[in-house]
Amino acid sequence: MRAGCSVPGRSRFCFPTERFEVDFGIDEATRELLAGAREIGRKEVRPAGLEADRNGAPLPPDHGYFTRFIARGEGRTRWLGPRGRRRDPGPRRTTVQSLLLAEEGAYWDRGIGVANPGVGLPEGNVLGLGTEAQKEQFLGSFLELDRPRWACFAMTEPGAGSDAAAISTQARKDGDGWILNGAKCFIGNASRADWILVQATLDPTKGRAAQRAFFVERSTPGLGGFKIEKKMGLKAYESTSFLLDDCRVPASHLLGGEKRHEGKAGFKTAMRTFNAGRPVIAANAVGIGRAALDEALAFARAHERTGDARVRDRIEAMARKLRMARLMCLRAGWLADREQANLVEASMSKALAAQVGQEATTLGMELIGTVGARGDHLIEKLYRDVKAMDIVEGTGQVQRMIISRNLVQLPR
Amino acid sequence: MFDLDPGEELALLVETTRSFAEEALTPALREAEHARGVSPSVRAAFEQIGLAGLEMPEAAGGAGLGSLARVLVNEELAAADAGAALALDPIGAALYPLAELGGDEAVDRWLGSLLGSDAVQQRAVLVDLRDARFVCQGDQLDGEVPWVPADRVDLLVLLGEDEAFVVRQGIELETIRGAGLRAAGASALTLRGAPIEARFESAAGVMRARARSRLHAASLLIGVLRAACDFSRAYALEREAFGRPIAHHQALAFLITDMQMALDGARLLVQEAAWRIDAGFPAEAEAAAAFAETIEASRLIGPSGVQILGGHGFMQDYPVEKFMREARTLSQGYGGFDAAREDAGRLLCTGPESILLSHGEV
Ligand SMILES: Cc1cc2nc3c(=O)[nH]c(=O)nc-3n(C[C@H](O)[C@H](O)[C@H](O)COP(=O)(O)OP(=O)(O)OC[C@H]3O[C@@H](n4cnc5c(N)ncnc54)[C@H](O)[C@@H]3O)c2cc1C
Repeated sequence: MRAGCSVPGRSRFCFPTERFEVDFGIDEATRELLAGAREIGRKEVRPAGLEADRNGAPLPPDHGYFTRFIARGEGRTRWLGPRGRRRDPGPRRTTVQSLLLAEEGAYWDRGIGVANPGVGLPEGNVLGLGTEAQKEQFLGSFLELDRPRWACFAMTEPGAGSDAAAISTQARKDGDGWILNGAKCFIGNASRADWILVQATLDPTKGRAAQRAFFVERSTPGLGGFKIEKKMGLKAYESTSFLLDDCRVPASHLLGGEKRHEGKAGFKTAMRTFNAGRPVIAANAVGIGRAALDEALAFARAHERTGDARVRDRIEAMARKLRMARLMCLRAGWLADREQANLVEASMSKALAAQVGQEATTLGMELIGTVGARGDHLIEKLYRDVKAMDIVEGTGQVQRMIISRNLVQLPR
Repeated sequence: MFDLDPGEELALLVETTRSFAEEALTPALREAEHARGVSPSVRAAFEQIGLAGLEMPEAAGGAGLGSLARVLVNEELAAADAGAALALDPIGAALYPLAELGGDEAVDRWLGSLLGSDAVQQRAVLVDLRDARFVCQGDQLDGEVPWVPADRVDLLVLLGEDEAFVVRQGIELETIRGAGLRAAGASALTLRGAPIEARFESAAGVMRARARSRLHAASLLIGVLRAACDFSRAYALEREAFGRPIAHHQALAFLITDMQMALDGARLLVQEAAWRIDAGFPAEAEAAAAFAETIEASRLIGPSGVQILGGHGFMQDYPVEKFMREARTLSQGYGGFDAAREDAGRLLCTGPESILLSHGEV
């Protein structure tokens, strides 16, 4: 009997526990995936990240790390090729799996995770909104990588970040093409990218509805002024500012083609990218925090400090907060896997995990004391790296705006 | 694999408990507080739907459910009235030491008679010796407990560092006001030459019993915090200041967001720890951490719930001051915040080299 099966005289629930479906566990297949990532992380990712941090510059595109990365078969597009010709690579990873992998990757080095060759940030947009011809043209070379290749997505401008509706890079129709003018900043991998998906506006006074995304190839005249920014952390990948000066692209480079653009689709193009990315950034923050926790614990043990209740308190707080942040993150991913709305949960995971990651590295720094002041301890690097998790893909404040719109209908 | 869906059956249990709580407990919130108890008709309804022996073995007339069911049910009950949730449950956390140290036989022997005693409600009470002072002389106990959330104690279970005791006689109660949870009653408890009727020894059993006890308190806390969040949020959308609903001032919108985030996060920790207990995985550190995190959330949510209502929040016409007091009161037991952190921290520091926060198995 399913419910309320009766014991004489009174009704009682009669639910054997093993029939409950809730499961906080991770299955064997996923654990194997994670073990693989851990191995690569230890051997490849951590050393590459430390090298870049020491040099204070991104790894050059011809670095052995990247060559080995693509030799392992990584960095390929998820696109199946023209008319789905490519052999189906098997079941796609679930979002929950991807998030666990994003956490494990960031544990070893978050900067390297972004530096890795591949389509990266714009892939979801192109797969979701691009025409078949655009997929062929722009994803085709990522089906099998002959050399490390990158692509990137450019939204942020010197004058508009959080308020993405206020970007001013202008797209003007010119015969059968488009002329782009403007400036973008902090764009990951831009100067080494084969193409940049540039977010622009037809009319800056018309807000979101007037925004469009354009493929801009590296060799396009007018695309220039690349400046690789000097950053506090995450030095392993380049964050680049650049200019679009009467940069002409053909009509075929408008993402989704002309037809797609009625209503607010243009802006949604960009927001889709951000939405899908939030739990990933959250998972990254958990990974960075977890690395700090392990380092802090190792330090405390090596210096015989675990007998000190205050030290134990710090370790305890770090572990607890990180565990919580991870669960928030997996919850957002789990909803995505069930194709349920996860707007609030995704923003919550990001807002919380970024904060927790910062706290964990801070506690780590406090625990190692003057050793942290030297500037060569892993925790010190993690402390610098993690800050960006509260900035990219929507700051903590922006996440809270999104959540409050839902919780209390905060007006825009 | 990671799955937060409770499934049909557990969802039905939650739904039923919620209806009961909303219909029977919420409207009588202040009444129960003043009466230091719930009405016989509410008690009858509670027993009727089978919530009285939720975790008791089926053989003993219970529903035979586990920790996850417990934390979900506790949240629903406490979202209405945490004091009433304690008052209604004849067994409560007293089950855990008996089950973990004494096994089914002990549960049957000491608790079996408390179930289904329709006429009077008996109460079994658990006291963590960290919250009390006791002296053991031969087979007798003397000592004092500053507060137990009950006006009668029919069976007292005491949880020490590596043993547990059962006492039924020589218990003196002095009625006190209680800071919160008054619907459950409140007493200072004294034992004078109380005969120890049973004594169980097992350090591992104590750890597990303490984990389950902490989850019991933590899940009640979660319910109270949910009520505080929901009530203050609804109020913030109604109340206007400076020309708009106060919720639409960013300072409050963000506060409300942070409260909800703290609640969601703590709840996931509580549920994960409960799942670990049911699955038979070690859960001591996780349960202690879940309790600590819930207390931390309550430090934000309790007072903020009042703050959002301003002066009105301070008045007893609204329930938010009750939520604030009860959240605090629920945070005081089982050694409170510091002991929870100490237990979790000690386990982490003596655990494996890399805290991979492994998923499930370890
Ligand atoms: C390492 C790194 C990599 C990046 N990579 C990319 C990339 O690949 N592509 C890309 O397009 N962009 C990228 N960015 C840019 C990033 O998305 C922006 O920096 C971010 O969106 C914030 O915008 P902003 O810097 O202009 O800050 P601003 O928008 O000027 O915000 C400044 C402060 O004001 C707060 N604020 C703003 N509006 C509100 C409000 N309404 N209420 C309350 N507070 C508010 C913000 O939270 C922030 O604290 C990257 C940034 C970094 C640091």
